[in-house]
Amino acid sequence: MADDRDQAPREGALLVDDDESRERKAKRSRDDDEALADEAANVLEDLLDIMDIDADVHIREDGDRIVLDVRGPEAGRAIGKKGQTLDALQFLLNRIVNRDADEQRHIIVDSGDYRERHDKSLANLAEREAKRAIQSGRTITLQPMSARDRRVIHLSLAKFEGVTTESSGEGMRRRIQIIPTGAPRRSRR
Amino acid sequence: MEDRARELIEYVARALVDDADAVEVNVVEADRATMYELSVDPRDLGKVIGRDGRTARALRTLLSALGSPNGKRAILDILD
Repeated sequence: MADDRDQAPREGALLVDDDESRERKAKRSRDDDEALADEAANVLEDLLDIMDIDADVHIREDGDRIVLDVRGPEAGRAIGKKGQTLDALQFLLNRIVNRDADEQRHIIVDSGDYRERHDKSLANLAEREAKRAIQSGRTITLQPMSARDRRVIHLSLAKFEGVTTESSGEGMRRRIQIIPTGAPRRSRR
Repeated sequence: MEDRARELIEYVARALVDDADAVEVNVVEADRATMYELSVDPRDLGKVIGRDGRTARALRTLLSALGSPNGKRAILDILD
């Protein structure tokens, strides 16, 4: 038979332990993040070096996110056409540093304010096309985009009156459709 | 002459696989392209190809960003 008087302090003790272990855990995950950011920065520097791109890697503090910032005279080469090189670097870097991890930690590779500017231009495009969809009363289908870019557009039009957005198509060919609400759906290709 | 394409393939493959010693790149010169035949331990194939081939595609994107001093394209062939 369990004794209540015996149990109460034990519970209390457990709680204290929990707080301490939580603190230790938080501390450890901060240390882990730092180690991961350092490792990722080293791998990215190696890749840039092999590719003969004259640029440095800086670890940027950005809330919970680990962002590696590529800076230097040839940072543009690391971005590439439509950010393709930057995305490929980011993808491979995440595969490499998260290789054996139980918990995946996403690392972002950026160059200056490239990703911010890119997102703004996507939001502008989305708004322009949404207006066009409303004016014409027709569904507008955008170019195929990455999952990340599609998400930026879905979010930017979430509160836009008069249209809804959907994705259609598979894999690399997945595209966003901007559909005017209150009008019969007519696909425009 | 240093071969950056080969170096890049070897670096990325070794960083991804369990058996880094099994990573080999065989270079085949053609007229207008250089073919890099990558072989890894069969158990590591998925790691260099990735889901829907995304890892291989990212590596190919980096290869095309290298620029070629001799005007040749670098082609990555993963041997299975």
